[in-house]
Amino acid sequence: MEYTPIYTEAELVQGLKARDQKVFSYLYDQYSPALYGVIVKVLNNDSSAGDVLQEVFLKIWRNNDRYNEEKGRLFTWMLNITRNAAIDILRSKSYKQEQRIQHITDHVNILNSALTVQLSTDYIGFSQILEQLTKEQRTLIDLAYYKGCTQEEIARALEIPLGTVKTRMRNAIIQLRHILNK
Amino acid sequence: MDVQRYISSGILESYVFGMLPETEQTEVEKLVSQYPDVKAALDLLQQDKERFVQLYAVAPPTGIKNRLTEIIRQENTEDGNKLLPEELRAPMNGAKHNGHQVPGKKKPDIEKETPIKYLATPKSSSDRLWKYLTAAIVVLLIGSVVMNFFFFQKSTDYKSRYKSLIATKEKLDAEKEHQALTSSKETTAIPVDPDPLSNPDFKWTQLQGGGAYAGKSVSVGWNAQTQAVYLQAKIMPLPPAGKQFQLWAIVNKKLVDAGVFDTGAELTQELQHMKAVAVAQGFAITLEKKGGSTEPSMNQVCMSAKVTK
Repeated sequence: MEYTPIYTEAELVQGLKARDQKVFSYLYDQYSPALYGVIVKVLNNDSSAGDVLQEVFLKIWRNNDRYNEEKGRLFTWMLNITRNAAIDILRSKSYKQEQRIQHITDHVNILNSALTVQLSTDYIGFSQILEQLTKEQRTLIDLAYYKGCTQEEIARALEIPLGTVKTRMRNAIIQLRHILNK
Repeated sequence: MDVQRYISSGILESYVFGMLPETEQTEVEKLVSQYPDVKAALDLLQQDKERFVQLYAVAPPTGIKNRLTEIIRQENTEDGNKLLPEELRAPMNGAKHNGHQVPGKKKPDIEKETPIKYLATPKSSSDRLWKYLTAAIVVLLIGSVVMNFFFFQKSTDYKSRYKSLIATKEKLDAEKEHQALTSSKETTAIPVDPDPLSNPDFKWTQLQGGGAYAGKSVSVGWNAQTQAVYLQAKIMPLPPAGKQFQLWAIVNKKLVDAGVFDTGAELTQELQHMKAVAVAQGFAITLEKKGGSTEPSMNQVCMSAKVTK
Protein backbone atom coordinates (compact mmCIF):
# COMPACT_ATOMS: atom_id res chain seq x y z
CA MET A 1 0.00 0.00 0.00
CA GLU A 2 1.23 3.40 -0.91
CA TYR A 3 1.41 5.77 1.93
CA THR A 4 -0.79 8.82 1.36
CA PRO A 5 0.21 11.62 3.62
CA ILE A 6 -2.33 14.08 4.92
CA TYR A 7 -1.05 17.55 4.28
CA THR A 8 -1.83 20.68 6.19
CA GLU A 9 -2.80 23.75 4.23
CA ALA A 10 0.65 25.25 4.79
CA GLU A 11 2.35 22.05 3.59
CA LEU A 12 0.20 21.99 0.52
CA VAL A 13 1.08 25.57 -0.36
CA GLN A 14 4.72 24.91 0.27
CA GLY A 15 4.64 21.68 -1.71
CA LEU A 16 2.95 23.31 -4.65
CA LYS A 17 5.43 26.16 -4.68
CA ALA A 18 8.27 23.68 -4.52
CA ARG A 19 6.71 21.75 -7.41
CA ASP A 20 6.28 18.60 -5.44
CA GLN A 21 4.58 16.11 -7.73
CA LYS A 22 3.22 14.16 -4.77
CA VAL A 23 1.48 17.29 -3.54
CA PHE A 24 0.11 17.85 -6.99
CA SER A 25 -1.27 14.32 -7.04
CA TYR A 26 -2.80 14.88 -3.63
CA LEU A 27 -4.39 18.16 -4.73
CA TYR A 28 -5.84 16.42 -7.72
CA ASP A 29 -7.32 13.58 -5.71
CA GLN A 30 -8.65 15.94 -3.10
CA TYR A 31 -10.10 18.70 -5.19
CA SER A 32 -10.68 17.51 -8.76
CA PRO A 33 -14.28 16.35 -8.09
CA ALA A 34 -15.25 19.77 -6.70
CA LEU A 35 -13.49 21.61 -9.52
CA TYR A 36 -14.91 19.27 -12.14
CA GLY A 37 -18.36 19.85 -10.65
CA VAL A 38 -17.94 23.60 -11.09
CA ILE A 39 -16.91 23.18 -14.73
CA VAL A 40 -19.79 20.84 -15.51
CA LYS A 41 -22.25 23.19 -13.88
CA VAL A 42 -20.91 26.27 -15.63
CA LEU A 43 -20.85 24.65 -19.05
CA ASN A 44 -24.00 22.64 -18.35
CA ASN A 45 -22.53 19.63 -20.09
CA ASP A 46 -19.54 17.43 -19.59
CA SER A 47 -18.31 16.79 -23.10
CA SER A 48 -15.62 19.46 -22.87
CA ALA A 49 -15.38 19.60 -19.07
CA GLY A 50 -12.53 17.09 -18.92
CA ASP A 51 -10.34 19.21 -21.19
CA VAL A 52 -11.09 22.28 -19.11
CA LEU A 53 -10.23 20.43 -15.92
CA GLN A 54 -6.89 19.37 -17.36
CA GLU A 55 -6.12 22.93 -18.37
CA VAL A 56 -7.13 24.18 -14.92
CA PHE A 57 -4.72 21.85 -13.15
CA LEU A 58 -1.92 22.82 -15.51
CA LYS A 59 -2.64 26.46 -14.68
CA ILE A 60 -2.53 25.66 -10.99
CA TRP A 61 0.78 23.90 -11.50
CA ARG A 62 2.42 26.39 -13.80
CA ASN A 63 1.16 29.50 -12.03
CA ASN A 64 1.89 28.22 -8.55
CA ASP A 65 3.87 31.34 -7.76
CA ARG A 66 0.81 33.51 -8.22
CA TYR A 67 -1.01 32.11 -5.26
CA ASN A 68 -1.30 34.76 -2.53
CA GLU A 69 -2.10 33.35 0.91
CA GLU A 70 -3.42 36.68 2.10
CA LYS A 71 -6.26 36.55 -0.35
CA GLY A 72 -7.67 33.25 0.77
CA ARG A 73 -7.17 29.56 1.12
CA LEU A 74 -5.52 27.48 -1.58
CA PHE A 75 -8.83 25.83 -2.48
CA THR A 76 -10.44 29.25 -2.92
CA TRP A 77 -7.66 30.18 -5.32
CA MET A 78 -8.08 26.92 -7.23
CA LEU A 79 -11.82 27.50 -7.39
CA ASN A 80 -11.29 30.98 -8.80
CA ILE A 81 -9.01 29.67 -11.52
CA THR A 82 -11.54 26.96 -12.34
CA ARG A 83 -14.57 29.20 -12.43
CA ASN A 84 -12.79 31.80 -14.56
CA ALA A 85 -11.55 29.20 -17.02
CA ALA A 86 -14.99 27.64 -17.35
CA ILE A 87 -16.77 30.98 -17.74
CA ASP A 88 -14.22 32.04 -20.37
CA ILE A 89 -15.13 28.93 -22.32
CA LEU A 90 -18.83 29.56 -21.77
CA ARG A 91 -18.49 33.03 -23.22
CA SER A 92 -16.29 32.07 -26.14
CA LYS A 93 -18.00 32.48 -29.45
CA SER A 94 -17.43 28.97 -30.72
CA TYR A 95 -18.78 27.45 -27.52
CA LYS A 96 -21.94 29.55 -27.70
CA GLN A 97 -22.53 28.44 -31.24
CA GLU A 98 -22.15 24.82 -30.26
CA GLN A 99 -24.57 25.29 -27.41
CA ARG A 100 -27.16 26.91 -29.58
CA ILE A 101 -27.39 23.83 -31.73
CA GLN A 102 -27.34 21.66 -28.64
CA HIS A 103 -30.16 23.70 -27.10
CA ILE A 104 -32.41 23.27 -30.06
CA THR A 105 -32.02 19.51 -30.04
CA ASP A 106 -32.35 19.45 -26.26
CA HIS A 107 -35.48 21.45 -26.52
CA VAL A 108 -36.99 19.02 -28.95
CA ASN A 109 -36.22 16.26 -26.48
CA ILE A 110 -37.84 18.23 -23.70
CA LEU A 111 -40.93 18.74 -25.80
CA ASN A 112 -40.98 15.03 -26.53
CA SER A 113 -40.68 14.08 -22.91
CA ALA A 114 -43.07 16.73 -21.68
CA LEU A 115 -45.16 14.14 -19.93
CA THR A 116 -42.33 12.42 -18.17
CA VAL A 117 -41.06 13.69 -14.86
CA GLN A 118 -38.65 16.51 -15.41
CA LEU A 119 -35.67 16.73 -13.15
CA SER A 120 -33.18 19.44 -13.73
CA THR A 121 -29.84 17.69 -13.87
CA ASP A 122 -28.45 20.64 -11.97
CA TYR A 123 -30.02 19.48 -8.77
CA ILE A 124 -29.91 15.73 -8.98
CA GLY A 125 -28.46 14.29 -5.81
CA PHE A 126 -28.40 17.40 -3.69
CA SER A 127 -31.84 18.67 -4.46
CA GLN A 128 -32.95 17.99 -0.94
CA ILE A 129 -30.31 20.24 0.57
CA LEU A 130 -30.78 23.03 -1.91
CA GLU A 131 -34.53 22.79 -1.90
CA GLN A 132 -34.37 24.55 1.40
CA LEU A 133 -33.32 27.63 -0.49
CA THR A 134 -36.07 29.44 -2.32
CA LYS A 135 -36.08 29.09 -6.06
CA GLU A 136 -35.07 32.71 -6.34
CA GLN A 137 -32.13 32.19 -4.01
CA ARG A 138 -30.94 29.22 -6.01
CA THR A 139 -31.25 31.12 -9.25
CA LEU A 140 -29.43 34.08 -7.75
CA ILE A 141 -26.43 31.99 -6.72
CA ASP A 142 -26.41 30.06 -9.99
CA LEU A 143 -26.50 33.17 -12.14
CA ALA A 144 -23.83 34.92 -10.11
CA TYR A 145 -21.41 32.11 -9.53
CA TYR A 146 -21.95 29.64 -12.33
CA LYS A 147 -23.00 31.92 -15.14
CA GLY A 148 -20.90 34.95 -14.22
CA CYS A 149 -23.80 37.39 -14.46
CA THR A 150 -23.41 40.98 -13.33
CA GLN A 151 -25.70 42.57 -10.77
CA GLU A 152 -27.51 44.36 -13.57
CA GLU A 153 -28.11 41.13 -15.43
CA ILE A 154 -29.30 39.40 -12.28
CA ALA A 155 -31.65 42.27 -11.45
CA ARG A 156 -33.10 42.01 -14.92
CA ALA A 157 -33.35 38.23 -14.86
CA LEU A 158 -35.04 38.09 -11.48
CA GLU A 159 -37.01 41.28 -12.03
CA ILE A 160 -35.84 42.84 -8.79
CA PRO A 161 -34.45 46.35 -8.22
CA LEU A 162 -30.70 46.67 -8.76
CA GLY A 163 -30.28 48.08 -5.24
CA THR A 164 -31.58 44.94 -3.59
CA VAL A 165 -29.41 42.41 -5.45
CA LYS A 166 -26.63 42.54 -2.82
CA THR A 167 -29.01 42.21 0.13
CA ARG A 168 -30.81 39.33 -1.52
CA MET A 169 -27.42 37.72 -2.09
CA ARG A 170 -26.58 38.16 1.57
CA ASN A 171 -29.87 36.61 2.67
CA ALA A 172 -29.34 33.71 0.30
CA ILE A 173 -25.86 33.01 1.68
CA ILE A 174 -27.06 33.31 5.28
CA GLN A 175 -29.74 30.78 4.49
CA LEU A 176 -27.19 28.58 2.75
CA ARG A 177 -24.85 28.72 5.73
CA HIS A 178 -27.73 27.82 7.99
CA ILE A 179 -28.53 24.78 5.84
CA LEU A 180 -24.90 23.68 5.58
CA ASN A 181 -24.40 23.95 9.35
CA LYS A 182 -27.40 21.80 10.16
CA MET B 1 -16.10 53.27 8.52
CA ASP B 2 -18.94 51.28 10.03
CA VAL B 3 -17.46 47.82 9.60
CA GLN B 4 -20.55 45.91 10.73
CA ARG B 5 -22.74 47.82 8.37
CA TYR B 6 -20.30 47.16 5.56
CA ILE B 7 -20.26 43.47 6.36
CA SER B 8 -24.05 43.24 6.46
CA SER B 9 -24.50 45.15 3.22
CA GLY B 10 -24.10 41.98 1.18
CA ILE B 11 -21.07 43.26 -0.70
CA LEU B 12 -18.82 40.50 0.67
CA GLU B 13 -21.24 37.77 -0.39
CA SER B 14 -21.45 39.35 -3.80
CA TYR B 15 -17.65 39.46 -3.95
CA VAL B 16 -17.22 35.85 -2.97
CA PHE B 17 -19.78 34.66 -5.50
CA GLY B 18 -18.14 36.74 -8.16
CA MET B 19 -20.78 39.21 -9.25
CA LEU B 20 -19.06 42.51 -8.52
CA PRO B 21 -17.64 44.73 -11.24
CA GLU B 22 -13.88 45.15 -11.15
CA THR B 23 -13.85 48.53 -9.41
CA GLU B 24 -15.90 47.22 -6.49
CA GLN B 25 -13.71 44.10 -6.30
CA THR B 26 -10.60 46.21 -5.85
CA GLU B 27 -12.37 48.21 -3.18
CA VAL B 28 -13.32 45.07 -1.24
CA GLU B 29 -9.76 43.74 -1.44
CA LYS B 30 -8.43 47.03 -0.10
CA LEU B 31 -10.80 47.01 2.86
CA VAL B 32 -10.08 43.35 3.58
CA SER B 33 -6.42 44.16 4.01
CA GLN B 34 -7.30 47.08 6.30
CA TYR B 35 -9.97 45.62 8.58
CA PRO B 36 -9.43 42.26 10.29
CA ASP B 37 -13.19 41.93 10.94
CA VAL B 38 -13.91 42.24 7.26
CA LYS B 39 -11.18 39.71 6.53
CA ALA B 40 -12.66 37.28 9.05
CA ALA B 41 -16.13 37.65 7.57
CA LEU B 42 -14.72 37.10 4.11
CA ASP B 43 -12.85 33.96 5.18
CA LEU B 44 -16.04 32.51 6.58
CA LEU B 45 -17.88 33.28 3.36
CA GLN B 46 -15.16 31.66 1.30
CA GLN B 47 -15.49 28.54 3.39
CA ASP B 48 -19.25 28.64 2.83
CA LYS B 49 -18.62 28.80 -0.86
CA GLU B 50 -16.17 25.90 -0.72
CA ARG B 51 -18.73 23.77 1.06
CA PHE B 52 -21.45 24.87 -1.32
CA VAL B 53 -19.34 23.98 -4.33
CA GLN B 54 -18.66 20.55 -2.84
CA LEU B 55 -22.38 19.85 -3.16
CA TYR B 56 -21.89 19.74 -6.90
CA ALA B 57 -18.72 17.63 -6.82
CA VAL B 58 -18.56 15.06 -9.60
CA ALA B 59 -15.79 12.55 -10.12
CA PRO B 60 -13.95 13.55 -13.29
CA PRO B 61 -13.34 10.97 -16.02
CA THR B 62 -10.45 8.66 -15.25
CA GLY B 63 -7.39 9.19 -17.35
CA ILE B 64 -7.13 12.91 -16.85
CA LYS B 65 -4.84 12.45 -13.89
CA ASN B 66 -2.49 10.18 -15.80
CA ARG B 67 -2.35 12.65 -18.66
CA LEU B 68 -1.58 15.46 -16.26
CA THR B 69 1.13 13.49 -14.50
CA GLU B 70 2.71 12.70 -17.84
CA ILE B 71 2.64 16.34 -18.96
CA ILE B 72 4.14 17.52 -15.69
CA ARG B 73 6.87 14.88 -15.79
CA GLN B 74 7.94 16.11 -19.21
CA GLU B 75 7.29 19.79 -18.81
CA ASN B 76 10.94 20.72 -18.61
CA THR B 77 11.79 19.11 -21.92
CA GLU B 78 11.12 20.82 -25.20
CA ASP B 79 8.60 18.16 -26.22
CA GLY B 80 6.85 18.35 -22.90
CA ASN B 81 6.57 22.09 -23.16
CA LYS B 82 4.63 21.65 -26.37
CA LEU B 83 2.04 19.57 -24.55
CA LEU B 84 1.13 22.57 -22.44
CA PRO B 85 -1.55 25.04 -23.47
CA GLU B 86 0.10 27.87 -25.37
CA GLU B 87 -0.40 30.47 -22.67
CA LEU B 88 1.33 28.26 -20.10
CA ARG B 89 4.39 27.39 -22.15
CA ALA B 90 7.80 28.52 -21.03
CA PRO B 91 9.58 30.81 -23.48
CA MET B 92 12.03 28.60 -25.37
CA ASN B 93 14.83 31.14 -25.70
CA GLY B 94 17.41 29.05 -23.90
CA ALA B 95 15.87 29.40 -20.47
CA LYS B 96 15.41 25.93 -19.08
CA HIS B 97 12.38 26.66 -17.00
CA ASN B 98 10.94 29.36 -14.86
CA GLY B 99 10.34 27.26 -11.80
CA HIS B 100 11.58 29.98 -9.51
CA GLN B 101 10.31 33.42 -10.18
CA VAL B 102 12.49 36.40 -9.43
CA PRO B 103 11.13 37.71 -6.13
CA GLY B 104 9.48 41.07 -6.31
CA LYS B 105 8.70 40.76 -9.98
CA LYS B 106 4.96 40.79 -10.11
CA LYS B 107 2.99 39.02 -12.76
CA PRO B 108 -0.51 40.09 -13.64
CA ASP B 109 -3.00 38.65 -11.19
CA ILE B 110 -4.82 36.09 -13.23
CA GLU B 111 -6.54 34.51 -10.28
CA LYS B 112 -8.45 37.71 -9.72
CA GLU B 113 -12.14 37.40 -10.43
CA THR B 114 -12.62 37.93 -14.13
CA PRO B 115 -14.00 41.34 -14.78
CA ILE B 116 -17.58 40.98 -15.82
CA LYS B 117 -18.08 42.14 -19.33
CA TYR B 118 -21.10 41.01 -21.16
CA LEU B 119 -23.09 37.89 -20.89
CA ALA B 120 -26.46 37.20 -22.28
CA THR B 121 -28.73 36.34 -19.40
CA PRO B 122 -30.31 32.91 -19.48
CA LYS B 123 -33.63 34.64 -19.99
CA SER B 124 -32.57 36.16 -23.27
CA SER B 125 -30.87 32.93 -24.28
CA SER B 126 -34.13 31.09 -23.81
CA ASP B 127 -35.80 33.87 -25.80
CA ARG B 128 -33.33 33.21 -28.55
CA LEU B 129 -34.00 29.52 -28.31
CA TRP B 130 -37.68 30.22 -28.85
CA LYS B 131 -36.86 32.45 -31.75
CA TYR B 132 -34.88 29.68 -33.40
CA LEU B 133 -37.56 27.19 -32.64
CA THR B 134 -40.26 29.44 -34.04
CA ALA B 135 -38.18 30.10 -37.12
CA ALA B 136 -37.68 26.38 -37.61
CA ILE B 137 -41.42 25.73 -37.24
CA VAL B 138 -42.29 28.50 -39.69
CA VAL B 139 -39.82 27.12 -42.22
CA LEU B 140 -41.30 23.66 -41.79
CA LEU B 141 -44.80 25.02 -42.22
CA ILE B 142 -43.93 26.91 -45.39
CA GLY B 143 -42.12 23.86 -46.69
CA SER B 144 -45.14 21.71 -45.98
CA VAL B 145 -47.51 24.13 -47.73
CA VAL B 146 -45.28 24.21 -50.79
CA MET B 147 -45.00 20.43 -50.82
CA ASN B 148 -48.77 20.11 -50.44
CA PHE B 149 -49.33 22.41 -53.36
CA PHE B 150 -46.76 20.61 -55.43
CA PHE B 151 -48.12 17.15 -54.70
CA PHE B 152 -51.70 18.30 -55.16
CA GLN B 153 -50.78 19.66 -58.58
CA LYS B 154 -49.10 16.42 -59.42
CA SER B 155 -51.99 14.30 -58.20
CA THR B 156 -54.57 16.27 -60.20
CA ASP B 157 -52.27 16.00 -63.16
CA TYR B 158 -52.13 12.24 -62.71
CA LYS B 159 -55.88 12.11 -62.23
CA SER B 160 -56.61 13.90 -65.47
CA ARG B 161 -54.03 11.86 -67.31
CA TYR B 162 -55.53 8.71 -65.87
CA LYS B 163 -59.00 9.81 -66.97
CA SER B 164 -57.88 10.57 -70.48
CA LEU B 165 -56.14 7.21 -70.61
CA ILE B 166 -59.35 5.48 -69.55
CA ALA B 167 -61.29 7.44 -72.16
CA THR B 168 -58.77 6.51 -74.85
CA LYS B 169 -58.92 2.90 -73.82
CA GLU B 170 -62.73 2.89 -73.92
CA LYS B 171 -62.69 4.48 -77.32
CA LEU B 172 -60.19 1.95 -78.56
CA ASP B 173 -62.20 -0.92 -77.09
CA ALA B 174 -65.36 0.36 -78.76
CA GLU B 175 -63.57 0.72 -82.03
CA LYS B 176 -62.12 -2.72 -81.70
CA GLU B 177 -65.51 -4.25 -80.99
CA HIS B 178 -67.05 -2.36 -83.85
CA GLN B 179 -64.28 -3.46 -86.09
CA ALA B 180 -64.64 -7.07 -85.02
CA LEU B 181 -68.34 -6.99 -85.86
CA THR B 182 -67.88 -5.27 -89.19
CA SER B 183 -64.41 -6.40 -90.11
CA SER B 184 -65.68 -8.56 -92.94
CA LYS B 185 -66.76 -5.40 -94.66
CA GLU B 186 -63.13 -4.54 -95.20
CA THR B 187 -61.46 -7.94 -95.21
CA THR B 188 -63.80 -9.91 -97.45
CA ALA B 189 -64.43 -7.03 -99.78
CA ILE B 190 -61.21 -7.78 -101.55
CA PRO B 191 -62.73 -9.89 -104.33
CA VAL B 192 -65.10 -7.18 -105.36
CA ASP B 193 -68.09 -8.61 -107.02
CA PRO B 194 -68.69 -6.75 -110.28
CA ASP B 195 -72.46 -6.85 -109.99
CA PRO B 196 -74.04 -9.22 -107.48
CA LEU B 197 -77.51 -8.40 -108.76
CA SER B 198 -76.87 -9.77 -112.25
CA ASN B 199 -74.37 -12.43 -111.22
CA PRO B 200 -76.07 -15.85 -111.39
CA ASP B 201 -73.80 -17.17 -108.63
CA PHE B 202 -75.68 -15.01 -106.16
CA LYS B 203 -78.82 -16.44 -104.74
CA TRP B 204 -81.23 -13.73 -103.68
CA THR B 205 -83.52 -14.35 -100.80
CA GLN B 206 -86.38 -12.01 -100.02
CA LEU B 207 -87.07 -11.55 -96.30
CA GLN B 208 -90.62 -10.37 -95.66
CA GLY B 209 -91.49 -8.82 -92.34
CA GLY B 210 -94.39 -9.84 -90.16
CA GLY B 211 -96.13 -8.36 -87.16
CA ALA B 212 -94.64 -4.94 -86.40
CA TYR B 213 -92.55 -5.31 -89.53
CA ALA B 214 -95.41 -6.32 -91.87
CA GLY B 215 -94.82 -4.97 -95.34
CA LYS B 216 -91.10 -4.49 -94.76
CA SER B 217 -88.69 -6.35 -96.92
CA VAL B 218 -84.96 -6.94 -97.23
CA SER B 219 -83.19 -8.96 -99.87
CA VAL B 220 -80.03 -10.85 -99.17
CA GLY B 221 -77.74 -12.08 -101.92
CA TRP B 222 -75.38 -14.92 -101.13
CA ASN B 223 -72.67 -16.38 -103.28
CA ALA B 224 -72.05 -19.89 -101.95
CA GLN B 225 -68.75 -20.11 -103.87
CA THR B 226 -67.15 -16.88 -102.69
CA GLN B 227 -69.19 -16.83 -99.45
CA ALA B 228 -69.87 -13.15 -100.15
CA VAL B 229 -73.11 -11.73 -98.83
CA TYR B 230 -74.81 -8.54 -99.96
CA LEU B 231 -77.86 -6.98 -98.48
CA GLN B 232 -80.39 -4.55 -99.83
CA ALA B 233 -82.58 -2.90 -97.17
CA LYS B 234 -85.40 -2.25 -99.60
CA ILE B 235 -88.18 -1.32 -97.24
CA MET B 236 -86.94 -1.02 -93.70
CA PRO B 237 -87.63 1.63 -91.06
CA LEU B 238 -84.84 3.48 -89.24
CA PRO B 239 -84.01 1.57 -86.05
CA PRO B 240 -84.85 3.18 -82.71
CA ALA B 241 -82.02 5.27 -81.15
CA GLY B 242 -79.14 3.14 -79.94
CA LYS B 243 -80.32 0.14 -81.96
CA GLN B 244 -79.30 -1.39 -85.26
CA PHE B 245 -80.54 -4.21 -87.43
CA GLN B 246 -78.36 -7.28 -87.69
CA LEU B 247 -78.34 -10.07 -90.27
CA TRP B 248 -77.94 -13.68 -89.20
CA ALA B 249 -77.29 -16.76 -91.32
CA ILE B 250 -79.40 -19.73 -90.25
CA VAL B 251 -77.05 -22.69 -89.99
CA ASN B 252 -78.55 -25.94 -88.67
CA LYS B 253 -81.30 -23.95 -86.90
CA LYS B 254 -78.71 -21.73 -85.24
CA LEU B 255 -78.16 -18.07 -85.97
CA VAL B 256 -74.65 -17.08 -87.05
CA ASP B 257 -73.66 -13.42 -87.13
CA ALA B 258 -73.47 -11.88 -90.59
CA GLY B 259 -73.00 -8.29 -89.57
CA VAL B 260 -75.09 -5.20 -88.92
CA PHE B 261 -76.55 -2.99 -91.62
CA ASP B 262 -78.01 0.44 -91.93
CA THR B 263 -81.49 1.31 -93.08
CA GLY B 264 -83.27 4.38 -94.31
CA ALA B 265 -84.66 6.04 -97.39
CA GLU B 266 -81.24 6.77 -98.93
CA LEU B 267 -80.15 3.18 -98.63
CA THR B 268 -83.06 1.34 -100.26
CA GLN B 269 -81.10 0.63 -103.47
CA GLU B 270 -77.71 0.41 -101.76
CA LEU B 271 -75.92 -2.93 -101.68
CA GLN B 272 -74.39 -3.42 -98.25
CA HIS B 273 -71.51 -5.82 -98.01
CA MET B 274 -72.03 -8.21 -95.11
CA LYS B 275 -69.82 -10.74 -93.38
CA ALA B 276 -68.88 -13.84 -95.28
CA VAL B 277 -71.19 -16.82 -94.82
CA ALA B 278 -70.00 -20.34 -95.68
CA VAL B 279 -73.17 -22.29 -95.06
CA ALA B 280 -76.70 -21.00 -94.76
CA GLN B 281 -80.12 -22.58 -94.90
CA GLY B 282 -81.72 -19.19 -94.46
CA PHE B 283 -81.35 -15.67 -93.15
CA ALA B 284 -82.90 -13.79 -90.29
CA ILE B 285 -82.84 -10.17 -89.14
CA THR B 286 -83.04 -9.04 -85.55
CA LEU B 287 -83.04 -5.66 -83.88
CA GLU B 288 -79.93 -5.39 -81.74
CA LYS B 289 -78.06 -2.72 -79.86
CA LYS B 290 -76.02 -0.39 -82.02
CA GLY B 291 -72.90 -2.11 -83.32
CA GLY B 292 -74.49 -5.52 -83.11
CA SER B 293 -74.51 -8.43 -80.68
CA THR B 294 -72.62 -11.67 -80.61
CA GLU B 295 -75.78 -13.60 -79.69
CA PRO B 296 -79.10 -12.82 -81.37
CA SER B 297 -81.99 -11.51 -79.33
CA MET B 298 -84.60 -14.12 -80.23
CA ASN B 299 -87.53 -11.95 -79.15
CA GLN B 300 -86.39 -9.24 -81.53
CA VAL B 301 -86.52 -11.23 -84.76
CA CYS B 302 -88.03 -9.00 -87.43
CA MET B 303 -88.05 -11.32 -90.35
CA SER B 304 -86.49 -14.46 -91.71
CA ALA B 305 -86.54 -16.57 -94.83
CA LYS B 306 -85.12 -19.79 -96.21
CA VAL B 307 -82.64 -19.76 -98.99
CA THR B 308 -84.33 -21.07 -102.11
CA LYS B 309 -82.59 -24.01 -103.69
